[in-house]
Amino acid sequence: MKTIPPPCPEPESGLKYWRSLDQLADTPEFRQWVEREFPAGASEFADPVSRRHFVKIMSASFLLAGFGLTGCRRPEEKILPFARMPENYAHGVPQFYATAMPTRGSAIPLVVKSHEGRPTKIEGNPEHPDSNGATNAHAQASLLDLYDPDRAQRFTKGGNGVASEAALDFLAAVAKQFAATAGEGLCFLMEQSSSPSRERLQSLLSQKWPKSRWFVYEPVDFTAARAAASAIAGHPISPYVKLESASVILSLDCDFLGDEEDSCRLIRGFASGRRIAKPAGTMSRLYAVEGLMTLTGANADHRLRAPTSAVISIASAIAAQVAPGNNDLKSFAQKFPLPGGVKPDWVVGCAKDLLANKGASLVLAGYRQPPAVHVIAHLLNAELGNKGKTILYREAPPPPASLSDLKQALDANQVDTLVILGGNPVYNAPADFDWEKTQRKAKTVIRLGYYEDETFTRSDWHLPLAHYLESWGDARTSDGTLVPVQPLIAPLFGGLTELEVLARLGGLEAAKPYDIVRETFRAIAGAGDFEEKWKKFLHDGFLAGSAANPVEVQFIPERAAAVLAAAVALPGPTTDSLEVVFHRDYRVDDGRYINNGWLQELPDPITKMTWENVILMSIQTAKSLGLDVRNRENNRLTVPRVKIQLAGRLIEGPVWIQPGQAENTLALALGYGHKPTQTGRVGRNSGYDAGPLRVSSAPYFAVGAKLSPTGETQLLSCTQDHWAMEGRPIIREANLEQYRQHPDFASRMELEPPPGTVSPDQQFTLYPNPFDKLKEKAIHQWGMSIDLNACVGCSACMVACQSENNIPIVGKEQVRNNREMHWIRIDRYYAGEVADPQVVNQPMLCQHCEKAPCESVCPVNATVHDEEGLNVMVYNRCVGTRYCSNNCPYKVRRFNYFDYNKRPLDQLYKSPLFNRMDGEWGLTKWLKDVDKGSKAEDEWELMKLVRNPDVTVRMRGVMEKCTYCVQRLEQAKIAKKVKARDSGDIRLTEKDGTIPKTACQQACPAEAIVFGDVSDPDSHVSKLKAQDRNYKVLNFLATKPRTTYLARVRNPNPVMPDALEMPQSTKEYSAKNGDPFEGHEAGHEAPADPAPGAGKGAK
Amino acid sequence: MPYIFPRWTNRLPLIVITVLMLGGGGVTAGMWYYFSPKYTRVGYQPIQPVGFPHSVHVNQLGLDCRYCHNAVEKSWYSNVPASSTCFNCHNQVLKDDSRLALVRESVATGKPIAWVQIHKLPDYVYFNHSVHVNRGVSCVHCHDRIDTMDEVYHAKPLSMTFCLDCHRQPAAKLRPLDKITDLGWNWDDDPKVAAARQSVKGNEFVEHWKVQSLQSCSACHR
Repeated sequence: MKTIPPPCPEPESGLKYWRSLDQLADTPEFRQWVEREFPAGASEFADPVSRRHFVKIMSASFLLAGFGLTGCRRPEEKILPFARMPENYAHGVPQFYATAMPTRGSAIPLVVKSHEGRPTKIEGNPEHPDSNGATNAHAQASLLDLYDPDRAQRFTKGGNGVASEAALDFLAAVAKQFAATAGEGLCFLMEQSSSPSRERLQSLLSQKWPKSRWFVYEPVDFTAARAAASAIAGHPISPYVKLESASVILSLDCDFLGDEEDSCRLIRGFASGRRIAKPAGTMSRLYAVEGLMTLTGANADHRLRAPTSAVISIASAIAAQVAPGNNDLKSFAQKFPLPGGVKPDWVVGCAKDLLANKGASLVLAGYRQPPAVHVIAHLLNAELGNKGKTILYREAPPPPASLSDLKQALDANQVDTLVILGGNPVYNAPADFDWEKTQRKAKTVIRLGYYEDETFTRSDWHLPLAHYLESWGDARTSDGTLVPVQPLIAPLFGGLTELEVLARLGGLEAAKPYDIVRETFRAIAGAGDFEEKWKKFLHDGFLAGSAANPVEVQFIPERAAAVLAAAVALPGPTTDSLEVVFHRDYRVDDGRYINNGWLQELPDPITKMTWENVILMSIQTAKSLGLDVRNRENNRLTVPRVKIQLAGRLIEGPVWIQPGQAENTLALALGYGHKPTQTGRVGRNSGYDAGPLRVSSAPYFAVGAKLSPTGETQLLSCTQDHWAMEGRPIIREANLEQYRQHPDFASRMELEPPPGTVSPDQQFTLYPNPFDKLKEKAIHQWGMSIDLNACVGCSACMVACQSENNIPIVGKEQVRNNREMHWIRIDRYYAGEVADPQVVNQPMLCQHCEKAPCESVCPVNATVHDEEGLNVMVYNRCVGTRYCSNNCPYKVRRFNYFDYNKRPLDQLYKSPLFNRMDGEWGLTKWLKDVDKGSKAEDEWELMKLVRNPDVTVRMRGVMEKCTYCVQRLEQAKIAKKVKARDSGDIRLTEKDGTIPKTACQQACPAEAIVFGDVSDPDSHVSKLKAQDRNYKVLNFLATKPRTTYLARVRNPNPVMPDALEMPQSTKEYSAKNGDPFEGHEAGHEAPADPAPGAGKGAK
Repeated sequence: MPYIFPRWTNRLPLIVITVLMLGGGGVTAGMWYYFSPKYTRVGYQPIQPVGFPHSVHVNQLGLDCRYCHNAVEKSWYSNVPASSTCFNCHNQVLKDDSRLALVRESVATGKPIAWVQIHKLPDYVYFNHSVHVNRGVSCVHCHDRIDTMDEVYHAKPLSMTFCLDCHRQPAAKLRPLDKITDLGWNWDDDPKVAAARQSVKGNEFVEHWKVQSLQSCSACHR
């Protein structure tokens, strides 16, 4: 942002003229000064001390200010260095710390970049044995939560703020109180955690106070697979799947690519099986059985669409085929017959494929499915010999007591003090528990929470929870490796960690979380130099060799039979008795991220909806219910609102059509619709709450709902509601067989260039491209390759890019006007019938075209090409013509229509002239401090901390777009040059590991995005571009993009009834443009460019 | 029929155009110079809270630039030293001098000394000190003879033209890496000889060190 010098000083009143402020003040010094013939300073002109004094007086004088030349100078800015320089600190050089983000039963190992003592970017930890350095969207966005102005910042008692000492004294008093009664009446309600420190504290406290009780509640409970395995094995075990070793995967409503826990790791395993370098390569095959359209279904080779309640029947049918000798499964299959509409051949084909891949197959059941389906999955894995190969089992702690146990205790008035650590049970407990009232049955409720949310209103004492980036702690990743949670900043608002609260409540001596974690580590690390091990632990971000060993398990048939026998058959859904499915939202999770702007604005990977949730249904269901969704007025998406009634409970929400959803099924995303008074400014009025329909007996799906329109309509903010490629080869795909026969199919699927233009490969010599000359002097040429086989559509790259590049959020209304600011977006297309389509995903970002249409039309030359192939955006030159965005065929340029950083999102259309903020007129506020925005003070101060100082923060009127993370490129080049000094060794190479990763590349769990030097024939990106699947989007426009894609290859099983000869989108393409697999006339282009490495020409 | 316009109005259009052209030209010329960094920045010599003379510390005592500005070789930002650096000597030298009161207060209480920033580039320019200092560009090229200054003033315009002048001809400015902080150094005492040597050696450095001196926008404007 430009700093504007303040206006020149002017006299306070118009008529009285004076020569200096001293005269105006008429101080005695001034009178003395005036009386002397020569002012005091004049005679001692040479003395430096007096010169200072002299100039001070003179500069105060109105006349000597000389019509404001010194006054109109750039305002004085101060440098405030340290009084004592910290060790190893150089201002401007970021520091990196290894930590981890605890997720329910696991953790994501991270390396967090810290600028000037505050964390600014989250990355994965590639050194960790079970991580490739990737993260997911939640981990990337969790940084914004740290700087959330609406988080709990105070200690409260009865809703009123108290001093922290008062709260801590109260905890000590509680400790004393229960010491006397051995914990009688003390109950802890916690979230799921893998932290060994918390486990240790829990056992310490349980030993100290045997009568205390411990409960764990997660509204979305991922322990179903573990619980089922433990039930049939007879002792607590936990499964660990290795998708990378599986050739055939069957997903029974298991959205392991999106919804399930640990999706980061599972995407990596899955993508490694999907990558195919040559036609002779192999690919894994994914079968998905599901009722909702999920990312897993979108990436499946065969998808069976069936209501969620019917998955159990399909699972049993498959099981009967796979294990015909198992009588329990056979009788179970008879109890759960296949629903009508499901072809038995599908089941047979799938089963045969599983049997053909014994030891290399995997059956997964999702968290929404009842225990019987999980048991079937484990039994099938055992039957198929997958144990020890694609699925391992490890010892697990015994399952904790649940929320219903706590409810029993509360109803029986057994609870004196209830301590709630995290979570938000008043919001997300099952509706039949009536938790708002039930919680108050405890005499005293102490809650440690991150927000003053719904649970805060029913608590007596509320303590602010520290963010994991501010906390000391530990966790275990899924493979059992111990990882530290290391703080990067002291708690911003004096928050406490879970460990500290437990220690204080327990009256333990070591109450500081740092000491607690060290103690736990001492026990785990074993013999040896403790300090060295501890230092290495913190440095590496994990403890080497701490992964748990898998154990041999045998499943006990009687126990399995017992679980199967307990399964209940639900009637098939009909229009009058709809099935309702509750699912964890891709963005706000179970509601914990409702106030996170980045996640709210992130388009849902499947529906592309932002800022709220919708009621999803299939197109046929909408028709039979008489709902008309596509009702556009002024290009706005207006949808009807409906009421859903289930077992006497009622909710209301907007309707949306989801292609590929099962018939007569409604999908409701959890986590929205919070109380406006208890939600921050971002999460207020966002979506509807699906919780009231959810009961403890049917937490994930239920049959029997009735739907009725309310007659009202609502506007929705969807970033992509046009889902058809309409025969254009934007995403090119083929089946594996076709790829094997025609390896160059991708380059065959092309469109004719517009009439009068030349083909992309022809040189137009009349006006040579100035870039061709320019790139001769560069030593790198940057390019990117995106593998569409690996990309699953998880959108972690979108949040990573937003975090790295200071991309603002624009709010619901602006998204509705198509003004979202994401520099990279995931385009999601449906192909085929609307009822049961195929889905394809494509990340789209600036292609950095060598013949960029945007560069030639900028009237002020604000977008130019640099010699290394980047299309560069110079913000300070841009005047906001928007011609470049107009000319961009990929539509990847984003314009700042408003100053999204300085203006509050709900007041964008009001200028400071008409705007009041915090009771102050906008213009007054601006005059007082030009650099400050109109946002609320707390939001403004915290927002500044999130920003990456290496990237410009853009103002209104400026165009922006992906820069291939030019700040990272420059820093890498500079680092190399600094190291090289007077040698000529300044080239970045993959060999010495100096090629930087772009933010999107670093975040991608599937490693789908690969960036590098295309002038180096041995670089990873050059090798990918040399593959025969490589193609350019909109190649016929001859833009010569540096970002190319690897066409998608599907791997259908030819014997399956839904196996198609070619993918749906290819079918659509050939219907319009001719079959790309035969000799054809339309769109046939010259063969691919010559291999890179022949000169610096990039592909 | 009477004439509507008096005779002198015949010359009026000519006068108006001439005045406009001269005036416009004058205003343009004035703005060209007076609004450029050459005028607005050069000579800026604000009053610092502590009257630190580089001439004494660098020239007389022989401190290297990097003793205080220690991060210049590692970071984009060349740091103003922490008060503890000053106190390395001034806990004994001039230890009760009134001019160092702020330094003593800073070391005792941790309150930073509020230095006035002199050299400041706009926010949209990303300049990196470490790559220049490590690749043959001496401090003197941008900060002039700061070792002779009693009070630091802004000596060079540091406009984009100024940067490009060097980036387009790096050979004219590069010097051996051990002479970066020797601000008064030249190849020879005789300016003609020095210029000739600079030309020869400079080109040598550019070639051997593979000095790129990037001129594309992405080098500085991100």
